[in-house]
Formats: sequence, C-alpha cells, structure tokens
Amino acid sequence: MNALSITGLELARPGGFRLSVPSLSLAQGEQALLVAPSGGGKSTLLHLVAGLEDPDAGSIAVADMPISSLRGAARDAFRGASIGMVFQTFNLLHGFSAIENLMVAMMFSSVPAATHESRARALLGELGIERPEQAVETMSVGQQQRVAVARALACRPTLVLADEPTASLDPANAATAIGLLQRACRDHGAALLCTSHDPTLRAHFSRVIDLGTTEAAR
Amino acid sequence: MTDFTIVLRSLSLRRFSTTVTVTMVAVSVALLLVLLAMRDAGRAAFRRGTGNAHLLVSADTSPLVAVLNGMFYANAPSQPIDWAAYMKIREAFPWSWTIPTQLGDSFRGSPVMATSKEFFTNFEPVLGQPWTFVAGKGFEAPYEAVVGAEAARLHGLKVGSELVLAHGVGTASGEAAHEHEDHPVEVVGILAPTGSAHDRAIFTSLETGWCVHAEESRLKEAAAANPGEDDHGHLHVDPEDLRDSEKLITGILLRVPTRPGEQVSSALPVAFDLLRRQFPFTVAQPAQQVGRLFEIVSGVDTLFIAMAVAVMVAGALSLMLALYNSMDLRRRQVAILRVLGASQGRVFGLVLAESAIIGLLGSGLGIALAAVFGTVASAELQRRVGLVIDPTMDLRTIVLCTAAATFLACAAGIVPALRAYRTAVVQGLRPLG
Repeated sequence: MNALSITGLELARPGGFRLSVPSLSLAQGEQALLVAPSGGGKSTLLHLVAGLEDPDAGSIAVADMPISSLRGAARDAFRGASIGMVFQTFNLLHGFSAIENLMVAMMFSSVPAATHESRARALLGELGIERPEQAVETMSVGQQQRVAVARALACRPTLVLADEPTASLDPANAATAIGLLQRACRDHGAALLCTSHDPTLRAHFSRVIDLGTTEAAR
Repeated sequence: MTDFTIVLRSLSLRRFSTTVTVTMVAVSVALLLVLLAMRDAGRAAFRRGTGNAHLLVSADTSPLVAVLNGMFYANAPSQPIDWAAYMKIREAFPWSWTIPTQLGDSFRGSPVMATSKEFFTNFEPVLGQPWTFVAGKGFEAPYEAVVGAEAARLHGLKVGSELVLAHGVGTASGEAAHEHEDHPVEVVGILAPTGSAHDRAIFTSLETGWCVHAEESRLKEAAAANPGEDDHGHLHVDPEDLRDSEKLITGILLRVPTRPGEQVSSALPVAFDLLRRQFPFTVAQPAQQVGRLFEIVSGVDTLFIAMAVAVMVAGALSLMLALYNSMDLRRRQVAILRVLGASQGRVFGLVLAESAIIGLLGSGLGIALAAVFGTVASAELQRRVGLVIDPTMDLRTIVLCTAAATFLACAAGIVPALRAYRTAVVQGLRPLG
C-alpha cells in the first residue's frame, strides 16, 4: 500500500496557472520535500491531495483510497481520519487550549472518544508541551508549531501534509522544527509530504520532488 | 470534547456580540411576557372583583360605568337611590340576597364604602372565597370600620386606629375632600388580601355614612334657617333619628337563588328583565360588563402584542446580522474544522446551534427580566390606579414564548449557517493580511 499515489493529475485555472503531475507516489512512512518556484503549485497540490480542491483530471489516492472520487461528508471524514495537515501559520483554533485543539481533531475521526484525552496528553508530552491546558494563542511560536504537529498526528494519519511549516522561522529554528516534524512522523508511522521554498531544507530529506520535473519522479 | 463545547467556546470568544444579541432577545421576550402576563392578570383582577354578585343596580348612566364605579371604585356614583326604592327592589323578587352600598366618602384617597353586614357574610369578593379577617371582626355599630388589606398596608392601619373620613373621593393628598372631623371612625377589622379592587377600600356601616351626612345637612339647614346664630355645632343624629330622605344609597348588589355549588341560574334573565322594566335604574350584570370592557380594550391589547412580536422579530434580525458579520471573523475557524474532518452539514449545525443557544439564553434572561418588570409594573398599577394584579406568568405562556424565541433565533441562524456551509476551505486557510 502506498501512502500517496497520484496519476495523470491536471489542473488549470483562469489566468494561465497550470499544474500537471503525471505520476507521483509516496510509500508508507516515506518522507519527501516538494519544491517549486513561488506560485508553482506546491500548496495547490497539497490541497488537491487533502481533497480540499478537485483536479480537472487524474486520480489521487491516499492509503489506496481514491480521495478525489469521494464526495461530501465521506471525503471530509476520510481526510479527518487519514490525513494530518501542518500549516505555515499553524491554523490552530484560538480560544481552545492545546489539548482541546487535539481533541477537536479527534472528534471527527474514528478514534474512540474515551481515549481522546489520554492520547492528546501523550502526544503533547512527546512533543515537549508541558502545559497542555494553556490557550494556544498565549503560546510561543515554537510551542504552537509543536501543537500543530501533534494535532496533525492525533488521528493516526497515513499521510501528513506540511505546507511551508518553517516559513516563519529563522534558519536555526527551521532546522529544529523540521527535525521535530520528521521525527514525529517517523515515530507514528506517517508518511510526510512537506513543501518549502527554503533550499536549506533539502539536506533534511532523502527524497526531493521538484514539481517542474515530476515526470521523472518515481 | 463535543459539538456543544465548540459552540460554547465560539460564543464566549465573541463575548461582546453574544452579550448584546442575548440581551436583545431577552428584552423582546421580557416585553412580550410582561404584556401577556399583565393582560391576563388584569383580566383576572377584573373578573375576581365582581365576586358572586349576579346583578348590580345603580343610578349611573350605563351598566359599564355602574360596574366600574360600584365594584372597582373608579368614581363615586353621581346619583343616589333612596331607601324606599331599595326596599321595593328587595321585595320584587325572591333574591338569594341583596346588599345596599353607598360610595362617596374616602380616607386619604382610599374609597370608603358604606354597606350592610351581609357584605361580609353573603358577598364573596372572589368566587368561592368568602372574606376572611386577618385581625378583628366585622363592624357591629356605627362609627366602626373594616379595612381592606391594601388600604391597611397603605395607611398603616390596625385594629383600634381612628380614621377621619372625607366627603368626596379626593386624592391621596386629601385634595378636594371635606373631612368629617367630628366623627372619627374606629377600625375594628382588617381583611385578608383578595387580589381584587376591594382590597384598597374601607368599609363602614350604612348608618355611619347616613348619620354623618345627616348631621352635616341638618347643620346647614339650621344655619340657613337662623343665619344670626353662630353655634350649630352640637347637633347629633342617631340611626333611629334618620329620616327616610337621609337614607340614600348608590348601589345594590343582588344574587338570585342558585342550586348548591352552582353560580349560574336560569332565574337571572327573569330577574334582570324585571328590574329593567319596573325600576328607573341601570341594571348591570358585572361579569358581562367586565367581558365588554375587555372587548373595548382588545384592540389596544392586540396592538401591544403586535408591537412586542415586532420587537422580537427585530431581535431575531439583529441576531442574524451579528452572526452573519461574525462569519467573516470565523472563516478561518470554519476552514480549520473542515480540514480536521467536519462535514459541511456539521458546520451548518454548529452555527445553527449557536443561534438556538442565544435564543434559549435570551429567553431565560427574558423570563427573569419579565418577573422583575411584572412585579414593578404590578406595584405601579396598584399605586397609581389601585388595580391589584398578580403578575405571575403562566407556564404555558413561558414555554410558548421560549419556543417562539428559540425558533426565531434558529431561523435567524439559517443565513449565517449557510454562509458557513459554503465557506471555501482553501480561502479560509490562507494567512491573514
């Protein structure tokens, strides 16, 4: 089973934007960095993989499930259960504590409700969050990033999509953050597809996918 | 973590907006409840006041005025009925009882009714509830008085207190009333509250009123006959000295015989027709006149209710606007929930639940406000017009208003919920600015 399989993906938008990914796959637990020039379609590809947008043609399967053919609530439920997302600005729910952010994520999954709190607490502990009850908006940027990574892993996803997760960090912190994300995904058996325009991150990944040459990718 | 937690957290995040919208709903619910409660309580107070009297005879110009004056103490009837006419009416039909009343005097703005002892034994101020005394007893002799519960409270009267009655209805400040200072009246009994207009009245025997007025009129006659003499102040009239022309009353309460435990009688129309045909007085059926009064005011009533409903709808529109505008700020929250796996339907439900909670909270607060408003308005009505009303809201009205407010709130939430439903997730996730 592949964590991600893309075949013949095509997307065109008014204004001349075109995204073409003839073939791309990620094995279970594999980690890859997706690179492209700014505006090259990195984020759009992640949205397509997450089922937040529909391609014009082609198929996208996550854990062998063709998410692009799922519709409505079924697609939402599948995304919640199988895909974790980490964003540049973290997109944590303000007004909720760190542990609540994880528990909200698990609400929409098949993770048994009785285990939500213990799992959330354990994950936050693993990622060095000492005060899980702290409101996320009062946390430092580094702490918020850790909470975002923990939330992405809360539902035991097959695939984690990270969209420019280090864009707002300085190089030293970016290296630490990407290391944390990679380790966490590895520890939880999730594949990782990470986008970045930061060339220094290439050294952290054994596989780099350049969107301009995806035909050459595996 | 449940959907309810998310809804509550979302409401508390927008604390100011939530407080304002809840308050708007509360004010409109309170207004509607108060108007409905006051209307029902006002009707009940009027119905209570007619008690178990089937008919009221008076020399007033219309039956409604006769009832308002004779049973609700609106004004003193302007024309008297002489005692001989009363006796004829009494003999004209096999009445269950007849009670003569005389209005015209007052004590510091509270009406004084002179009547017979049967007023306390036969007349029930509220159907099925005879008078009860919280202190003392009924009057036995002239210059004794029994005081209604509200009048006793208002003037601080107790058994043994002495009152100086004034001629004329006057006002609480004693304006335009001539006082009978030579004839203080002693309080011998305090009545328990009945929730009717009688609570604010003071009752004396007919003889008390007649003797006081007889002395005054005889003194005036003497002064007119002997203008040179200064001292006419020691004239004293006992009940047995009263002339027939001095025995005047202003109303007669009547009840026709009924079967035990029943209030209506087939004899009532017969007695009513007989009185109208044979006597030159106004004959009123108090319960019927109260019904007529409600018909007269029902237009105003409907207008008030329509206004309250309009306020409620305005509250719902404000709620819709507040929620709709908040969707701009919540675009990101909705997008995050969708990324985490929430379906469009679930997000729609969350926003609708917020509206419902605002409706419920507003209703709860509105009920509390209505209880406070009702108590204040009831006290004010009692103080200003002497109408004793119980502002208690009935459970059915409360449930209906709460359901209506919640329904309206939900309806107001549909448009914002649809906006949340249609929120484009990708746009919502983009970094702000």
